[in-house]
Amino acid sequence: MIELQGVTRIFPNGVRALNNINLTINPGDFVFLVGPSGAGKSTFLRMLFREDTPTEGKIFVDGKDITQMPESRVPYLRRNLGIVLQDFQLLKRRTVAENVAFGLRVIGATAAEISNRVQEALEQVGLSHKRRMFPTELSGGEQQRVCIARAIVNNPLILITDEPTGNLDPMISQEIMQLFLEINARGTTIIMATHNHNLVNKLRKRVVALVNGQIIKDEAGGTYAYE
Amino acid sequence: MSLANLSFFVTEAGTNMRRSAMMAFITIATIGIALVMMGAFLLTTMNLESFLEQMQAEALVTAYLKQGFAITDAKTLSLRLTSLTEIEDIEVVTPEQAARELFSSPDDQQLLQIGITQDSNPLPTTLRIRIKSGNQLESLLEKLKSEPMIDNISYGEDLFQQFHGMSQLLWLISLIIVIMLGLASLFIVYNTVRLTLFMRREEIVIMKLVGATNWFVRGPFLVEGFIQGLVGSLLAIIILFAAYRFMLAKLVELIPFFTANVGFDQLFKLSAKLLMMGIVLGISGSLLSLRDISKFSKSAPEGV
Repeated sequence: MIELQGVTRIFPNGVRALNNINLTINPGDFVFLVGPSGAGKSTFLRMLFREDTPTEGKIFVDGKDITQMPESRVPYLRRNLGIVLQDFQLLKRRTVAENVAFGLRVIGATAAEISNRVQEALEQVGLSHKRRMFPTELSGGEQQRVCIARAIVNNPLILITDEPTGNLDPMISQEIMQLFLEINARGTTIIMATHNHNLVNKLRKRVVALVNGQIIKDEAGGTYAYE
Repeated sequence: MSLANLSFFVTEAGTNMRRSAMMAFITIATIGIALVMMGAFLLTTMNLESFLEQMQAEALVTAYLKQGFAITDAKTLSLRLTSLTEIEDIEVVTPEQAARELFSSPDDQQLLQIGITQDSNPLPTTLRIRIKSGNQLESLLEKLKSEPMIDNISYGEDLFQQFHGMSQLLWLISLIIVIMLGLASLFIVYNTVRLTLFMRREEIVIMKLVGATNWFVRGPFLVEGFIQGLVGSLLAIIILFAAYRFMLAKLVELIPFFTANVGFDQLFKLSAKLLMMGIVLGISGSLLSLRDISKFSKSAPEGV
């Protein structure tokens, strides 16, 4: 599903954010990406949806080398990916349903299609009763659910998420994590960068630890510890 | 582009214009004002030009025939020439007529009787041609020159050259003004769109994140540019024609024999041109500010 071959990213200021990363993620995997702040987790994730490109190395997503992909094809790559970031990134002037529909609008789906799939996605995250509300009327956990609904409304192959529980309390974090597990159970590959060691330790999924831009641990059924 | 996309663009454009009504107003007003000014210059130029053409048309073209042709030959030629589109009417002047006109005073009449008889009349047979409009003079001259019977043509060359030069200068000036006004308004439209673009930055970032193409992101802005150009130019046309009618009424009052030289069909053509210009201004202003839209895709600055 995802393969990184010798991926190195050196920023213009000389910082080596990623250093010779080799990693394979199989379809249906649930991978936690852990490591201290500044270890390169976000850069790693940004590479996967071509928000950034490596200085060296290759990245294959669903069999295609996305580092060689022309800019004009990037939108089509992203339509197969669901992306959930730490800050909720919702449009404040649009309702919950409109926010979720956004991912379908950009691909030119019909009104009927949009209405059905938005309803489905909102039901999955348990927010269909709040579809007409605005993001500011929702709690943080609910806002993150809306983002998740938007990310899964296209039935993506891969869900990439960067600290989705970073701004949420432990109870709500657990609920959000439960949601990701359900999505994963339906076959979507999930890659999640997180600092939440309680959840990582509890769930015992594959854990990849990044320190100083290098993978120092890649363990199935692993724990958070990387020292 | 699918119908779903188009309807999305139109609703988005409508919502965005309502949210940033001030920006939309500035764009529409800029386009409107620029077009009123352009239109005023074009109308003035068109009026002056048609006035010049009228004056030119009143000038006669005189074609002198070579000696040795019978008067019937001249008549045949004139009949043939009448079919030319440039010619309003044509009159054959025999040497006798010419002589009589030339020596029309009583004293001259005597001279005529003494000096010039039918056989010794040195005046050539001439064709007096009135043209339909001044701008057809040149093509008519070309055709007349190729006629073997015609020796010489006179048409008030100096006056014609002057008029020609004046109308060319007029068009040059109005062209420069139109281009300058166009560029100035393009610049303002560009900047206002740029501002709304930054106001909607977050939205664009999210659009790109969920897989919108650059053209999809541009869509609503382009529809907005189109609508603003359309509204701006319609307003300009209304204002311009109201002002034009008012001015004409005033002029008729002031100058009793004044008649407007620009007809309805020309006004219609001018409106169509202004409408086109407005739409082009609106769309190109938007396109220009959206050319680097891919830079807006970055959800976080480089190196974070």
